[in-house]
Amino acid sequence: MSGLKFEDVGFSYGIIPCIKGFSCSFAAGEMAGLIGANGSGKSTLLRLGTGLLSPQTGVVKLEGQPVRALRGKERAALLGYLPQSIDVPLPFRVGELVEMGRTAARREHLLSCQELLSSVGLDGYEQTPLSNISGGERRRAFIAMILAQGGKTLLLDEPLAGLDLRYQYELLALLRELCRNHGLTIFLSLHELLLARNLDRLLVIREGQLLADGSPALILTEKLIRQTFDLDPLFQIPNMIV
Amino acid sequence: MKRHPLFVMLGSMVLVLLISLSLGQQAINLFSPDPLQMKILFELRMPRVVVALLMGASLGVAGAVLQGVFRNPLADPYILGTSSGAALAAAFGLLASDGSAFWLVPSLAFAGAVLTSGVVVALGRDAWGVRAERLLLAGVGIGFFLSAILMLVMSLAQADGVKRALLWMAGDLAGADWSLVPLAAILMVVGFLLAICRRRGLNALALGDEVAFGLGLEPGRERIILVLAASLLTAASVALGGIVGFVGLMVPHGVRAFVGADARRVLPLSAVGGGMLLCLADTVGRSILPPIEIPAGVVTALIGAPCFLFMLRRSSAGSMK
Repeated sequence: MSGLKFEDVGFSYGIIPCIKGFSCSFAAGEMAGLIGANGSGKSTLLRLGTGLLSPQTGVVKLEGQPVRALRGKERAALLGYLPQSIDVPLPFRVGELVEMGRTAARREHLLSCQELLSSVGLDGYEQTPLSNISGGERRRAFIAMILAQGGKTLLLDEPLAGLDLRYQYELLALLRELCRNHGLTIFLSLHELLLARNLDRLLVIREGQLLADGSPALILTEKLIRQTFDLDPLFQIPNMIV
Repeated sequence: MKRHPLFVMLGSMVLVLLISLSLGQQAINLFSPDPLQMKILFELRMPRVVVALLMGASLGVAGAVLQGVFRNPLADPYILGTSSGAALAAAFGLLASDGSAFWLVPSLAFAGAVLTSGVVVALGRDAWGVRAERLLLAGVGIGFFLSAILMLVMSLAQADGVKRALLWMAGDLAGADWSLVPLAAILMVVGFLLAICRRRGLNALALGDEVAFGLGLEPGRERIILVLAASLLTAASVALGGIVGFVGLMVPHGVRAFVGADARRVLPLSAVGGGMLLCLADTVGRSILPPIEIPAGVVTALIGAPCFLFMLRRSSAGSMK
């Protein structure tokens, strides 16, 4: 089993319930996707997973301990988190970004900047400003940063958003390779149902509740997709998705 | 052989110091000064050069800190309203005193700066902690309010006091002496060390609160410590010689264009760059139209604004390639 576990987690913004009784755990080396409509609670769930938000009921555990009870440095060395918005207003270079991740790592997990950049396909980009690379490459640079932290679990909030199909496919292939080569467990939210087929497992949430959990072949059915996104009966779902 | 930017800048600073000490209403040969020139050097120029260096360094570092904390390249030491608080308190001192109590105006400026920062940080908090946008808006709001009171006070005041208050607000270093240097230097060193110790937090905050949290930091706590550091630095600068604009905005941008955005390099280089720029500006201000002295703050704005716009144009042209 991987280190991250949600146990009957509930969370509300004020009096409005957002996540209700969510439980799940992950196998080591698993690449799991979280799908759901806008506002269904995907980002909130990932924030609960990273300890940024505190559940009102239940608990999120990392390596057997409540994630909120861990000290910042301990948590960062076990779990990497990439939020949806990653705009950078100052002219950081790719190497400086990776260095920030390295400072959060335990000494025994420290990888060199070159190794990390090589593992995300950005060899030779160390001195390149982030403003001079494409959106897909920037996403890779941030993945190198959280990889540098040395944790075995990565939580990624819509890492494919804003990328074209080629970059989306390449990024997913990279994440798959990282799962295999580094033994990582990756839990990511996504809207790209066409690409969701390439993951090991999909979890579907609707109005903050786990609606379904299983292999892509089981999840990507017309009935479940209509239910998840409240689709109009007249809307035709393309054959390549279901 | 690659030269380290810090050594290059320190070398340039020595050159600026020599120029600054030798130029003025009267040019002085530093290697063979006569007794009168010695007196001018030790009693007038040296304190002025030291004050300019300390002020410029403080402003440069404060600018670098605030631009990272607020994730806003336009932030500068005055965006938090600190300058307005300091200027208002200083103006009260200038208008109320006859100039005999030399410590009154700077002390009031310092108290005004610290008090304003405290109020702004208190207003910048909500249930989630200290938020960047909230803090920024609180700073701008308080700044406008205090500036309005300052204008009101000045419009009701006597002519002589108003002129002194205006010079203060224009960043005039003509009255610089050694009296406040030790206190301001301590404030500056404390502020600088605080910022250097939190360099990791400063880098992470520039990437956003969620990324900073993911890297194991507490964004709210880091922000309070860094704003405190910037307030100490701004207060030290205002107490020493009044209000000087543009240094805090421009210097960190110039530094980042050469060495990237890592706070570990940007903070010390902004200190050296800021000190050098203000020293040069003050030298130009007192040498160019003798016997008239142009306040250093006016010179930094006059040379700073075109340089800044040039840099902006060059960087936007570069990013379009």
